[in-house]
Amino acid sequence: MSDSIHVSRQFDEDLSGLRTHVLEMGGLVEAQIRAAVEAYATGETGIVKDIVENDHRVNDFEKIIDDETIHVVARRQPTASDLRLVMGVTKIVTDLERIGDEAKKIAKGARRVHEQGMLQIPRATDVRHVADEAVVMLRQALDSFARLDSALADAVIHADAKVDAEFKAIVRQLITYMMEDPRTISTAIDIVWIGRSIERIGDHAKNIAEHVIYIAEGRDIRHSGKEE
Amino acid sequence: MSTALIQTLALTLGGALPALVVGVLISPALGWAIFSSVLLLQLLLGLRYFSRLEAWSRHPSPTHALEGAGVWDEVFARLHRHERELRGQIARRELDLRQVAAAGQAIVDGIITLDADNRIGWCNRTAEQQLGLDLRSDRGQPIANLVRQPAFVAYLAAGDFSRPLRLIPVRNEERVLSIHVLPYAGGDRLLQVRDVTQAERLDRMRRDFVANVSHELRTPLTVLSGFLETVRELPLAPEEHDRYLALMAEQSDRMQRIVQDLLTLSTLESSPPPPENQRVAMAELLAKLKRDAEALSAGRHAITLAVDAGDLLGAESELTSAFGNLISNAVRYTPAGGHIAIAWRPLGSSAEFSVTDDGPGIDPAHIPRLTERFYRADLGRSRETGGTGLGLAIVKHALSRHQARLDIASTPGSGSRFSAHFPPARLAP
Repeated sequence: MSDSIHVSRQFDEDLSGLRTHVLEMGGLVEAQIRAAVEAYATGETGIVKDIVENDHRVNDFEKIIDDETIHVVARRQPTASDLRLVMGVTKIVTDLERIGDEAKKIAKGARRVHEQGMLQIPRATDVRHVADEAVVMLRQALDSFARLDSALADAVIHADAKVDAEFKAIVRQLITYMMEDPRTISTAIDIVWIGRSIERIGDHAKNIAEHVIYIAEGRDIRHSGKEE
Repeated sequence: MSTALIQTLALTLGGALPALVVGVLISPALGWAIFSSVLLLQLLLGLRYFSRLEAWSRHPSPTHALEGAGVWDEVFARLHRHERELRGQIARRELDLRQVAAAGQAIVDGIITLDADNRIGWCNRTAEQQLGLDLRSDRGQPIANLVRQPAFVAYLAAGDFSRPLRLIPVRNEERVLSIHVLPYAGGDRLLQVRDVTQAERLDRMRRDFVANVSHELRTPLTVLSGFLETVRELPLAPEEHDRYLALMAEQSDRMQRIVQDLLTLSTLESSPPPPENQRVAMAELLAKLKRDAEALSAGRHAITLAVDAGDLLGAESELTSAFGNLISNAVRYTPAGGHIAIAWRPLGSSAEFSVTDDGPGIDPAHIPRLTERFYRADLGRSRETGGTGLGLAIVKHALSRHQARLDIASTPGSGSRFSAHFPPARLAP
């Protein structure tokens, strides 16, 4: 009797540790995006090197958490909501790792844009604005995972459409710049790539929110929205 | 226990005696029957009380008293009392807990209690706001799950809490928090979150001030030493020589004014509060200030003075420098041909000093910062008119020492109005 309590307690600790690690990784990834966007907005590209180096830590997290999930599955054979949590975690970690890669791309793009330094960056504040929104989406997705709050996760899923729309607006704007003055093309393309990365971060945050709903309620709502 | 035994024995004997009499005199069978029915009665009585006790124990209630006879009554009374005391204790403890929680809420800092695994036990509303927590859903959650900033996570994990952590929370980037971790009661910890935004701002202002002073003094000093070098090294015509000396005198005047203003400010900061019983004759003071203004204006402005209110209580030198600064500002910033109206008039039970001009006015963006030291709305013009950048800082300081408030109203293009509002306590009876 006492033995089985001990075992389930240990199991609880395993699951709780798994969640904490995922959230710690999420916090790191969030800080990475914020630093990358800051580098883009302010032109202080000194931190780009740190961001690229920190991406190794994100990747290490992915490996550690994958290891832990395999251990939990092998040793505890989780069922029902525990199993959903473990499966959801593996997917969330994949999305987080991709977000880390996007942050790295934004940082490198920021360095290129500022190194060329030959033109006033058009619509810099727009990029920053949409980036802030994507960061908030990620933060709320992680909050909803910590609290298993599917209402908040729903809100994140709905916010994605706005980020997508703003990205398209930025692209349209940049196209007019490029048509007016072809010398801006290479910088504008770099900015488009940065915007594209931000838009992808929004998508990954949405995915995380979908996994949270799966963990919390057992509903799989992926691909259930209307296709574009 | 013993009373219960004696009572039972007495009852049994009381049944046995008539049973024995009947058994001997009439028939043994009837005697046994009587004896056993007495025992049965006793048993039934006991059973009745037991079932009451059993029912009560399912829902012990201090209002519903148990009733019984003899030994049962005593036991029931004791149980009842015990229950009542327990409930009283629980109520008192709950009150204590609520008071402790209320005290925690009243603390201006954010307070979070954590267990040995850094799980949130309790936190006050300030902490909820500062860190974006929600106690209803987050109790028992490891705090690093919600405050995920790597700096914070690393600080908690490192376990070295000898220095506070400075953190700009992602949920509210305007603020700066200082986080202390204090161990208490076993492995538990108390997280104290202090908002140091204001303190950091003051710190920055002080650094800016020092940098500004150095800059403001260095500018005239550079000019001065440049001219000195020229005068010493180059053969100059006498009139050129005189011109350079005049420019040098101008710069050294400027430095002197800055140093004078800095000294005035530091005197204002360090001297005791202005007296509350010393009368300052406003009519004479303002008439003198008007004469000074006319001298400064040299006939370029139309200056009017209206004194309708009584005398003030306070330090004459401080008030003179406050009013004088406001008036000379108006003279210096209003173009020739402008009007300047100085007024001292009652306003209900309080009174107001005002200087109104029809000069170029001030951009509203500058107004909130005008009283900062060395803040200049228009750099070139201010220096050109001989300002030190400290005048309004002195005004504000001198006025606030008299519990007066400085109001600045301005419309670009049509003029400005600087007014000082004095409370009734500062007006001479």
